Order: sequence, then C-alpha cells, then structure tokens
Amino acid sequence: MANANNTTDDVIVLNEEGAKFGRAMLIAGLVLIAVGVGVGLSFDTRGLKGLLHSYLIAFMYVLSLGLGLLWIVIIQHLSKARWSVVVRRVAEVLAAGLPIVCALGLGIIIPMWLHNADLYIWVDHELVQNDHLLHHKAPYLNVSFFTVRCAVYFAFWGGLSTFFLKTSVRQDETGKAELSGLMHGVSAPAMILFAITLTFASIDFLMSLDPTWFSTMFGVYYFAGCIMSGHALWALSLMWLQSHGHITTSVTAEHYQDIGKMMFGFVVFWAYVGFSQFMLIWYADIPEETHWYHWRFEEPWKQVSIALLIGHFVLPFLGLMSRWVKRKKVSLAFWCIWLLIVQYIDMFWLVYPNGEAADRVPPSALVDLTLAAGMVALFLGSAIRRAAGINLIPTKDPALSDSLAFHNI
Amino acid sequence: MSDEESKSESAMDNTEDKPKSDAPTTANGEPLHGVLAEYHTPKELLAAAEKIRDAGYTVWDTYSPFPVHGIEKAQGIPWTILPWLVFGAGCTGLTVGLGMQLWTNGVDYKYLISGKPFFSIAANIPITFEITVLFSALTAFGGMLALNRLPKPSHALDHVERFNRVTDDRFFALIEATDPKFDDTATRTLIAETSPHHVEDVPADTRSENLPKFFTYVAAFLALTALIPLGYAYSVRGTTSTQPRIHIVPDMDFQQKFKPQRGNPFFEDGRAMRPQIEGTVASGDLQDDSHFYRGKVGKAWARTFPSRFTPNEAAMQRGRERYDIFCVPCHSVTGNGSGIVAQHALELAEGTWIPPTNLTLANIKQQPVGELYNTITHGIRNMPAYGSQIDPEDRWAIVLYVRALQRAQAGNVSHVPAAKRAGLK
Ligand code: HEC
Repeated sequence: MANANNTTDDVIVLNEEGAKFGRAMLIAGLVLIAVGVGVGLSFDTRGLKGLLHSYLIAFMYVLSLGLGLLWIVIIQHLSKARWSVVVRRVAEVLAAGLPIVCALGLGIIIPMWLHNADLYIWVDHELVQNDHLLHHKAPYLNVSFFTVRCAVYFAFWGGLSTFFLKTSVRQDETGKAELSGLMHGVSAPAMILFAITLTFASIDFLMSLDPTWFSTMFGVYYFAGCIMSGHALWALSLMWLQSHGHITTSVTAEHYQDIGKMMFGFVVFWAYVGFSQFMLIWYADIPEETHWYHWRFEEPWKQVSIALLIGHFVLPFLGLMSRWVKRKKVSLAFWCIWLLIVQYIDMFWLVYPNGEAADRVPPSALVDLTLAAGMVALFLGSAIRRAAGINLIPTKDPALSDSLAFHNI
Repeated sequence: MSDEESKSESAMDNTEDKPKSDAPTTANGEPLHGVLAEYHTPKELLAAAEKIRDAGYTVWDTYSPFPVHGIEKAQGIPWTILPWLVFGAGCTGLTVGLGMQLWTNGVDYKYLISGKPFFSIAANIPITFEITVLFSALTAFGGMLALNRLPKPSHALDHVERFNRVTDDRFFALIEATDPKFDDTATRTLIAETSPHHVEDVPADTRSENLPKFFTYVAAFLALTALIPLGYAYSVRGTTSTQPRIHIVPDMDFQQKFKPQRGNPFFEDGRAMRPQIEGTVASGDLQDDSHFYRGKVGKAWARTFPSRFTPNEAAMQRGRERYDIFCVPCHSVTGNGSGIVAQHALELAEGTWIPPTNLTLANIKQQPVGELYNTITHGIRNMPAYGSQIDPEDRWAIVLYVRALQRAQAGNVSHVPAAKRAGLK
C-alpha cells in the first residue's frame, strides 16, 4: 500500500543468459545421468543392484523437489493466497519440470518388468510364493499393479503441473479473472488426489523396499521432506533469477521471509512426524516394526541417523527461527542449500539400510552423486526451458498488486 | 473544517485566560490527559507520527482501525523484547518438563512400564514438547498484555465521542500531558503543523484505572473456594473410611444390570445369583474324574499322574512354558523362590512379606503330585489360586515340570545323557 511497486520497470521475461543456462543444464543433466549409469554398470563393483539403489535415491530426491513445488502451487490457489502471487509463476515453472522427472521413473519400472528383484524383493515370484506374508501382500505388491499405479501418479502429477502453468500463462494473455476461479476450483480436488498419490507413491517406491515393514505415517514423512525442500528450491530459484537481473524490484524481502517461514514450519513438521513414527514403534516394541529402526541404529547408519536429527531439525530449527535470517538473502540461501542437502541425506537413509546387512549394497559416492546431480540438472533444465518466452510473474492475476505491496507486520 | 480549526484556536485562547498553574488543563479547566489529533488516512498518520517522533516526545501513541505498515518505525518504537521472553520461557518449559519426568519416573517413584527404561528421552518428548509450548504460549500472551499494560479497565479516551470512530475509519495521535516535553503552546503548535482534521483536548480520566474492588473480592473468594477441595483431599489423604467413595465421574460403576451377590426383586428368593437347578450339571462342569480334576484318589493325594495326562516331551515343554508365565514371577526360573516379585518385595522391606516357597526343598519334593496340583488349583495360605487361569491339563504339565526342576537341583553329571556330556565343558 504505502510503497507499492510496479512491474513495469522490471525484467519479467527470461533473458538470453538464462535461456542459455537452461539449455546447458539440460545437456549436463543428460550427460551426467549417462555417466552415472555407465559407471554403475561397468566400474562399479556393486553391480546392477548398487546402481539401482543409487538411481532410486536420486529419483526420489528430484521427485520430492518437484512434488514439493507442485504442492506449493496447489496450496496458493486453494487458499487464494495473495502474498505469493508475484512469486507463484516461478513455482509453477519449477513444478512443470515434473513430467521429465516422471519419465526418469521408467528407470525403476523397466528392471521390474525384466524380473529384476535387486531393489524390490517382492518382484521375485518364487520368494513370494514361499513367504506367507509376502504371498498375502501379492495382490497389491506385484509388477503389473505397480506399473498401473505409477502410470496414474505420473499422469496426474504431469498433467496437473502442466494445467496450472498453462492456465496461469493463459491469464497473462487474456487477462480473464475467471481463470483464477478455475484454478481455485481445480485446486481443491487436486489437493486430495495429490495427498493420495504422494502417499501411495512413497509406499510403493520407498516403503516396499522392505515389504514386511509398515508405518501408516510413512507418506506424511516423505511429504514433510518434499514440502520443505520444495520451498528451499523455490527461494533459491528466485535468488538466482534476481541475481541475473530478473524481477529485481517486484520480489522483496517480504516474500522471502514468508517462504522462509513455511520452510521453517516444515522443518519442524518433519521432526514432528519423524518422531511420532519412531515413538509409536518404539513404544509398541513389536519386532515386525522395530527392525526398520534397528537397522538404522546400528553402525555405521547410527551416525547418519544422528546427523539427520541434528542437521534436519536441531540446527535449522534454531538457525531459521529469527526474522532477519529469513529476510537476508545470504542467510536464507545458506539454509536453503543446507536443507536441500539434508533432504538428500534423508532419501539416502531411507533407501540404503534395508534388509539384513549381508543383503545390502554399500553406497558409492561417485555413482550416487553423479546421478543425483544429473537428475537435478535435468529437472531444472527442463523447468527453465518451460520458462522461456513467458512472464516470470503472473502479470494479469487480479491479486498481483496486493502481492507487490505485501508487507509482513 | 475551518470551524474546527477556529474551535481549537479558541480553546487555546481560553487557556491563556485561566490563572496559571503547573498542571495543564482543558478549556473547561479540567485536568488535561493529553491532546488528541485526528487524521483521515494512514498516510497522514504516518507523516504526523514521524514529526512527533522527531520532536522528541516519548509519552504518546497512535490509534488506528487496523495495523498500519511502518508505524513502529514512524513512531520510533524500539523492537519488542517479547521474542526473548518467549524464548526464555520455552527453554524453561523444556527444562521443567524434562526435569519433572526425570524426578517422578526416574527418582521418586520408579515404576516399570513395559520394560522401558525409567528415564527415557523418547517417552518424555511429548510431555516436554507440550510443556515447552504451554510455557511459551502463556508467556507470549501474558507478556504481550503486560508489556502493553493491558487490560485497562478505564481510559481517558473512552469518554471522547469522536474517538469511537477509531475502530472504523479514523486515525488518531495522542500526546499525553505527562510527557516531559509537553508544553501547552509548543505541543499544540506541533500538532497543528501535522495538519490534523481535528484537534481535541482530552480531559484526564476521573475514574480509577484500577479494577473495581468488587472484582478483587470475587477473585479472592473464588481462589479461596478453589482451595477447599484441595485442602479436603489433603486432610483425608491416607485415611480409611467405611463410606462408599464419592463418584465424581461415575464411569461404568453403576449399570442397569444385576451383578453377583446383589438382590433382584424378580425372583422369589430375591437373589440375583441363581442356584444350580437340582439334578443338573452345567455343560463342561461334570468333573467326574477326581484324579484328573482334583488330584485325589479316594481320600488321599494322588501319587501318580492321571491316565488322561501323558507325561511326555511335549507335555514337559508345555509345562515349562506355563510355569515360566505363571510361576516364575514369584518362584523364579529355578524354583528357588527368588522371583522378581519376591526380590522387589524384599527391597521394599515392609516386613509383611511371606516369601514364596523354595520348590526344590525336600518337603515339597516329598509331596505327592496330587498335592502340588491342588496347590496350583486353590493356592495355599499366602499364594493365590491359579485354577481359574490354568486348565487342568496345563496344571498337570506344570507339576511335571516342577518335578523336573526338583530333579535338576539334585542332578549330577551322571544324569546327563552320555552323548551330551561333552557339550557341558
Ligand atoms: C504371587 C506369587 C506366587 C505365584 C505367581 C506362585 N506362587 Fe507358589 N507360593 C507363593 C507363596 C508366597 C508361597 C508360600 C505361601 C505361604 O507359605 O504362605 C507359595 C507356595 C507354593 C508351594 C508350596 C506349598 C506348600 O505346601 O507349602 C508350591 C508347591 C507352589 N507355591 C507352587 C506354585 C506353582 C506351581 C506356581 C505356578 C502355577 C506358583 N506357585 C505361583 C507365591 C506364588
């Protein structure tokens, strides 16, 4: 109100430098993934089993970023948020990187079709026949149904993210206020379906790594990490755009502070859910459930568990608490990068220590990190390409002026 | 507007006519609370606030129907210390929550719950968390009130007619007469410079700022009454009574059904419990095999196992399992009577404890199996009966296992099968 900016003197379309960077990312992503897979198949002594584990971690990691941003877009429409309008397009663009992430999911599904049970033991038909418990779970945990479910998830996420970006861009062109209403209307059922698909996807891809283990909070646990890291990537992307001369006056410390608040909230939420899941299992002390934690509380995973507790909760909780931390770009960027790293460690911690020690594969820093970097680059490259030629701000959104003038009290 | 201005000017003129006194007064000669200026937009208010701030006033405030962005800065209000108070309260809550549980569960009243450690962080986090939140939230709320000196039961501005619109569409600034810089003329000139739409003298509040006495009395009375149940509970603590206890929450204590040992007017004899019909036996109650069901052959304790029970390996394993469940807590795994219950009772040293019998003593060894069976069924002296929990078949299995324990105590190498002797060394 008092010091309302306007977007007229701002660069709101991706400049040449940005577009070039997007292309470079896309190529770098493809090359890195190819190198990761190549190394995994040739030099890596862990063999295919190791490669598949590394691949799954990287996949679940980028998926969490994409899903986090998709959720961010949905919730802004659902709550008719006004503060976020000016920064929403960037989230829409990032979420629109989801289709390519979903395509990467084939790397998990195809080995399954070829009866490879390195990752998911329930793919092994013979084993399932002889295991009473798995036999009973077979109607759900089987390759065909798994494939159908994945097709549903991928179609839904890809379609939804594209819908939001396209509709929002259409509003830029036509200026129709009804489009806001349309997106608001879609966001409500979308949120319910999002919750269901995310929950089942986390069960399918992560929890079924140990098909005898179950936790009803698992989906929420994965969700908490998704949303936290989604916000971190969102803030970093805005900073990157601003440092390259885009949207420099429209996006202010006020918007960063709000993104920081959400991030802080989900740091706490992750700890809340993670602890609740642990405490229920600890209290009941039933062997069917406790083994999952036992594996993670034994050396050397114990260190990783402690590192997660401290790095994913204690430090960012204290670090992000103050107001100024969220308003200063340097400090906020520090915590965004920090949280993006711990989110990776979380995925790493969920995937590797499954099964008895003898049945596990050890991590391989080279393959793990090459694949993760490759997939992130591919994801970002694809998102940046979708940003080419469109406004970085939803210029015709009816609530844009409110968002530009937004102030934290 | 012009007439409003002239009104305020005339107000000033009037004050000059009044006999000079130290305390500033309103036009009507009432003691002055402060000078109130009215604005129409937040922008005007912000500009005025900056002027007043720069003039060095300290005892003054602004009033608006909604939070005005940047008003803290324009007024020069320092950043509140409330966050630090809340942080301190949070840390206190954390310590209190953890400390309380450490004391109650880990030191003062150790109570074993499903084999968990007495003091364990995992179990204590929920309560610690809640107390941390409770302390922080109460401090945030109470601290906000205290720092703002709220609630104020009465305020001088309550009596200003125009001020009512502050909850609607008007913005005000008030410089109080107690401000050290307050000066009857200079202050008014300053306010005029901020171009207000209206200026008004606010007479001092004649009513006391304190809560009416009535509230204090009621609060004190309620506080005292609240102590009565506590005091009563304290005074009867540890005493006995023949009266039935008071049911504050009746739960399921009283139900629309007939319980054993109670009356029932429906039957002629007025009893709720029905005697067995003469000449009948309830199904499963025909316990005609005295040896098997009561451990007796004729009038004497049976010295052999009943024919319906086969003492084999499976029965021995079953007996061991049942013994471990039902007898071990008192008689211990070896049967020597030092089970965990016995140990704990000795630790408490209350002097009333009869220790469980050592089952491997000669006199127990000499008891016929039927007598041991009977002890399990009906209990003996201080030992409770287990007949209702353990099937006859299982009772015999336990007897068999007790016999094995007794033999094991007196065992030597020659009892071990030759093939397994090597494994002992
Ligand atoms: C709650 C503790 C407790 C449990 C459980 C318990 N006992 Fe006892 N038992 C005692 C005590 C106490 C005595 C000694 C009673 C006395 O002398 O007053 C005793 C005595 C005995 C005796 C000696 C009786 C005698 O003639 O002196 C036998 C035999 C015996 N128990 C067998 C068993 C068996 C078998 C079980 C398992 C089914 C069992 N007890 C379970 C507390 C227990």
